[in-house]
Amino acid sequence: MFTTSSIGALEEAIRFSTAKQKAISSNLANVDTPNYKEQSVSFNRVLEQTEANASVFQSKQTDERHLHFPLPSGYPHASHNKQGQYNHNGNSVDVDKQMTEMAENQLYYNAVVDRMTSSFQSLETAIRGGR
Amino acid sequence: MTMFSSMGVSGSALTLQRLRMDVAASNIANAETTRAELVDGQWQPYQRKMVVQESMPFSTYLNKAENQLNHGVIAKGIVNDETPASLVYDPLHPDSNEDGYVSKPNVEIAREMIDITSATRSYEANVSALQASKGMLMKALEIGR
Repeated sequence: MFTTSSIGALEEAIRFSTAKQKAISSNLANVDTPNYKEQSVSFNRVLEQTEANASVFQSKQTDERHLHFPLPSGYPHASHNKQGQYNHNGNSVDVDKQMTEMAENQLYYNAVVDRMTSSFQSLETAIRGGR
Repeated sequence: MTMFSSMGVSGSALTLQRLRMDVAASNIANAETTRAELVDGQWQPYQRKMVVQESMPFSTYLNKAENQLNHGVIAKGIVNDETPASLVYDPLHPDSNEDGYVSKPNVEIAREMIDITSATRSYEANVSALQASKGMLMKALEIGR
């Protein structure tokens, strides 16, 4: 009853934002590590997954290590940026890009949390009967 | 998938950058040390030290699929720079050889300064990431308030 669709969607958004923050943290932590490749988290994939989850279709595993292709719900997929070399030692982390993305991600996260708080407040208003 | 692990990742980077700073400081401090170790009765000059760093997955293979973002960083070791010592002509130096040449450490101050600057900037970037993670956690605590 309480889990309205908007709260569910906001939860996915928070999960995505958390994963993105984690990717940015790892990229910045490894800014001087030779051969480290920049990681990114894409929202398109999350959307694709949500759609894939809606129309469930089974994957056949021939080995237990295979992943089911509708991946566990809400897990934002991380991908490595394989092409592109920013540094001479095989490292592909661009600090400016990471810092910009981090600022953007923080604002996004705060906005989502604000929206979530206000949906809870609406629920509360309904519970109090508008008083 | 907690926010705390991203703070751990940034924390590991802070430790590493501090180590790089310490190693650079040691190199500069020993830039003129001609008696670093005694090998076969001969004093050897100080050799420049370097930090070897490696990406460290916090995860095990079991939960690898979920935790592939948790890449902290560790110092794999500290190695010597094997560049040969430079020979400087100084016949009055107590460590000069019979031709009057002294083996000086292979430390170049300019290179160390660049390393220090690089470590400082990386440290700052990681502090920012840590602050961002902290800010997001604090914001999450406001949910439902």
